[in-house]
Amino acid sequence: METSATRPDDGTVPALRLTGLHKVFADNVAVDHVDLVVPRGSFFGLVGPNGAGKTTALSMAVGLLRPDSGRSEVFGVDVWSDPVRAKSLMGVLPDGLAMPERLTGRELLTFIGQLRGIPDDVVAQRSQQLLNVMELNDAERTLVADYSTGMRKKIGLATALLHAPRLLVLDEPFEAVDPVSAAALKSILVRFVSSGGSVVLSSHVMALVEQLCDTVAVMAKGKVVAAGPLGDVRGDNTLEETFVRLVGVDSGDWEELSWLAS
Amino acid sequence: MARVLIRMKLAILRHSMTGGKAVWMVIGGLLGIVLAIATIWLSLVDGVGTAVVADLLAATYLVWALGWVVGPVWGGSSVLRTDHFALLSVPRGRLAVGLLGAAFVGVTTAVTLLAFLSLLTYGARLGVLPALVAVPAVVLQLVFVVLLSRVSTAVFGVVAKSRAGAAFTGALIAGMIVLAQSGWMVIVAIQVSGVLSTGFGAGFATTVRAVPSGWGLVAVEAAGRGEWGLALGALAGLALVIVLLLFGWSRSLGAARRARVTVRGTAHAPSRGGVLSGRTGTVVRKELRTWWRDPLRTQTVSVPLVWALGTALLPLTFGEVLLLPWAAPALAVMAGAAASNLYGQDGTALWMTLLTGSESEDLRGRQIAYLIVFGPIALVVAVVFTLWSGLHWTWPWVLALTPAMLGGAAGLGALISVVALAPGPDAHKRPDNPLEHGDTTGQANLMFWGGLIMAIPPAVVLIVGTVRDDVVLLWAAVPVGVVTGVLLAWWLGRVAIGRLLARGPELLFLMRTGRSGNAVKIEMPKREAWLAVACWTFGSIALFPQGVVPIVFMLSGVDVKSWFLAMYLDGALAWIVAVVMVLFGSWLYYVAVRLSAKKPAAEPVS
Repeated sequence: METSATRPDDGTVPALRLTGLHKVFADNVAVDHVDLVVPRGSFFGLVGPNGAGKTTALSMAVGLLRPDSGRSEVFGVDVWSDPVRAKSLMGVLPDGLAMPERLTGRELLTFIGQLRGIPDDVVAQRSQQLLNVMELNDAERTLVADYSTGMRKKIGLATALLHAPRLLVLDEPFEAVDPVSAAALKSILVRFVSSGGSVVLSSHVMALVEQLCDTVAVMAKGKVVAAGPLGDVRGDNTLEETFVRLVGVDSGDWEELSWLAS
Repeated sequence: MARVLIRMKLAILRHSMTGGKAVWMVIGGLLGIVLAIATIWLSLVDGVGTAVVADLLAATYLVWALGWVVGPVWGGSSVLRTDHFALLSVPRGRLAVGLLGAAFVGVTTAVTLLAFLSLLTYGARLGVLPALVAVPAVVLQLVFVVLLSRVSTAVFGVVAKSRAGAAFTGALIAGMIVLAQSGWMVIVAIQVSGVLSTGFGAGFATTVRAVPSGWGLVAVEAAGRGEWGLALGALAGLALVIVLLLFGWSRSLGAARRARVTVRGTAHAPSRGGVLSGRTGTVVRKELRTWWRDPLRTQTVSVPLVWALGTALLPLTFGEVLLLPWAAPALAVMAGAAASNLYGQDGTALWMTLLTGSESEDLRGRQIAYLIVFGPIALVVAVVFTLWSGLHWTWPWVLALTPAMLGGAAGLGALISVVALAPGPDAHKRPDNPLEHGDTTGQANLMFWGGLIMAIPPAVVLIVGTVRDDVVLLWAAVPVGVVTGVLLAWWLGRVAIGRLLARGPELLFLMRTGRSGNAVKIEMPKREAWLAVACWTFGSIALFPQGVVPIVFMLSGVDVKSWFLAMYLDGALAWIVAVVMVLFGSWLYYVAVRLSAKKPAAEPVS
């Protein structure tokens, strides 16, 4: 099931379309009827404060969390009714989940590649290249359980890229990654987009999103409060100013911490 | 401190309580109460000397204490994990006392307190003063076992960092289980031999009183004889042990995070082996590496192995070889109990299985890896021990029962791993104690008793063969056992795959948060949950004590009536009742499996 050879549509449907995604935990509405369109070939940034529902929305989008209602389509393929095909089209990096921990990075990539049905020689070649780019070669014999937080991100990203997907969904991909590796990752992602791939990433770091993304969406309290091309959303301000205005951060609370360092 | 921690523990328990967990808790609590009442009853037994009763009580207390040491193997990490408080600016001693206080809030502690009240009832038999002495003795004894459990968990965690250490702690734990259960063996043997009137050997009586679990009893007995020095000394000794344990435990609380003993992998890519190619083969090779490298899995192998060998070898101490051949079937059953939470052990790594759409291959791969790990060990044990015993009539029994139990455990284990998943901390979040995992007490029990049922088809053939003295029939049980094992592994595995496919995201959510998603209503309706529990319970009663046990008794000519219905009847009627009970119990089990693992109706996502 080599995915880069699959042509599931006529070239007009978006890379990812979320329609009315909704999720309630106990009495907390985590994601509130979210609609989102990630155009094909776009570098899409999803920003929002902690607890805005980014991770929940992305988990539902890729099929790791069952929505209460709503749909998620990857290149027109429904993630929940045709999961096998949809999942072959995308590469996913979730935030903070475990991996098969007792494997080395190379073993992990090899096994995931074989589970994806990629021929052995291709897996070997791609694994080597990915390990080089991610600078994980020095840790040849280290098990994933002993990886640092940044290394875990990088090996996770490598597994997401391995089967040459057409859409990447990355939850906080740059968190805890050092600047050198981050620069390498950025150039990989930029090249991926320029050669026709689509990327969705979530982040708290506005400067990063501004630098990389051409399309953004702002989430707050489970809702999408703004979405569109970067220029349209931020207008004449910086993205950070727009974000603060949209999310409505109340900065007056500092006075309540007067006991701190007094 | 203690009050804050107790409230904290209760809050955590409240937030992590699910319907399934509550059912386990109620069942476990009821079983515990039965055992506790049995202990009290023991202290009131009439017609034998009080000294004999005291011997039995001391032995029982030792068993309770061992239970507290062994319990965490299945009970998993405590609710309040000590590393959560590592950065708190509180003296370690105070923290230890506070955590100890919180440790007393729990079903297990209440049940144990009930059991230890037997010391009070025994003291009352001796007089008013011994009863008064028993009050502090009960308290000290309870504090002692709770602390002992905490300290041994901490020690095991340190030792088990390396795989050799994990194997060692596993062996130690298995040894304690053997000791605890053999306590019952000894008691039963004594009951039969009529020692009850003459008293125990001096060695036995001294040993069970010499260990701290018996000191409370020593104090009560001494008070009864008016030896106040000894009574106070025993109590003071117990208090001293408690102080020492508390000191040791508090030392371990604030200790800097210790480095993990690093297990190294290989630098080259894994080769794609002939038989193990394909997607399922990929999972098998991944699993085999995990079995080899994860200390928790090392322990999972060593506990059943040492337990089975220990149980079989112990009777050799009095020259009895009868148990030797049964080491292999015992290993097969206990291995299932140790491997009933495969998905919980791997934690949230399940997302990779879901995203590669390899649920079916993953489950089959795990089953095959399980059989590759335990199959050869069981086979070697079966051959070596049966040869050693020289009991040649057991060959067909061993060779028929072992594969049925192994295959059955591979199937039931996979099913329970999916249906009754016990979430625990992810592997990379437990560097301090590789043995931390979810609470699998209920699952392990289910696997143990369920694992025995798996052997019924070959057992029936074997029994009929024995009765009719038919060698061909006896040996025909071997292929029956193999086919039973294969079919059970396949069928139960298939049920588990269906469940995994239907509920994969919910299982991932459960492992991520430690509780099931309440917005997705595919939980079993309450009525069916109780029906399933009833089927498990009555199925067990019908199948074993009312079915299999009487058949074995009738075949071997044992005449014990007790509560075995069939034994009260004559001739053919007894056989009919026993066989009907076996069939009825099996049918109830079938219903229970169907109910417990029912595939939820596909959730319409509109």
